[in-house]
Amino acid sequence: MSTAAATPNARPRVTPLRRYLWALAALLALLTLSAGAALVKLGVLNTVIALGVSVAKTLLVMAIFMHESEARRLTRIAAALGFVWLAILIGLALTDFLTRVPVPPPW
Amino acid sequence: MNATVAEADWRANGVQVEEQYDDAAQQREAATLGMWVFIATEVLFFGVLFASYTICRILFPQGFAVASRHTDMVLGTAETAVLLISSCLIALGARAVKLDQNRLAAGLLAGTAALGLAFLVMHGFEYHKEYAEHLIPGVDFMQRGPQAQAVELFFCLYYCITGFHSLHVAIGVSVILVLVVRVLRGSYGSQRYTTPELTALYWHLVDIVWIFVYPLIYLVGRAG
Repeated sequence: MSTAAATPNARPRVTPLRRYLWALAALLALLTLSAGAALVKLGVLNTVIALGVSVAKTLLVMAIFMHESEARRLTRIAAALGFVWLAILIGLALTDFLTRVPVPPPW
Repeated sequence: MNATVAEADWRANGVQVEEQYDDAAQQREAATLGMWVFIATEVLFFGVLFASYTICRILFPQGFAVASRHTDMVLGTAETAVLLISSCLIALGARAVKLDQNRLAAGLLAGTAALGLAFLVMHGFEYHKEYAEHLIPGVDFMQRGPQAQAVELFFCLYYCITGFHSLHVAIGVSVILVLVVRVLRGSYGSQRYTTPELTALYWHLVDIVWIFVYPLIYLVGRAG
């Protein structure tokens, strides 16, 4: 077996600088959006926008900074797992709290 | 056969490939996968606190709005910006390591640690302000009125969530400072970058947790 299989001095793949800077600009713009939207009275939309912006920011950080957009499928599954379990945890807990009706005592 | 390839990796690139791996690339992928599994456990660690928050907020929506207005939105927003910028810096630092730009990498990592410290200092100011306003449940809590109990509940969650988050920031800053020294000593480079890369993943997780803390703690009920 030849030892040529290892590739000495092969340069690792790096993300272009511009991509990181665009991601940061987008993140700061989203931060401004969430701070600004919180000051306007929009009712339930306030919460929807706040959480929507957070999800968008998280996807940006994971895709660009954490290289998930270039990652292997197995790594992506592992990255999604924590959030899937969290969704199950919060979702199932809410099936209780959102469906409770006050039951008056029979006396 | 694999041992030969691993040996070649070791000779050519100075990367010690453990015997269960075929080559350095596979070893690196396994380490990254392991880090993501750890991150999943961290997501669930903070997730439990966020789940409690969700339930309490559904039960006491007005109380949580009143309580959130006691927090400092300007400091909270500045802290978010600082963490977002630090996340970009550490990503650039890990990139510089891969490009063998060690001095630049050390500078970027030191910048990340400095921003992490700035975050902790700002949070210290916040805690001090809340201490002065008697907003410490169970110890020094002076809120009165119909929402007082819900406000107390909010601040219990506030200290748990931000306290554990700050602990993560402090651990991250310590690890990054060690990394700065090791980068300057030339321990990493275009063939050895797993540790800086995984540290960056951890720091991004700390950032993501805060991305959710920010609207849930600081932005509730701001519009009146």
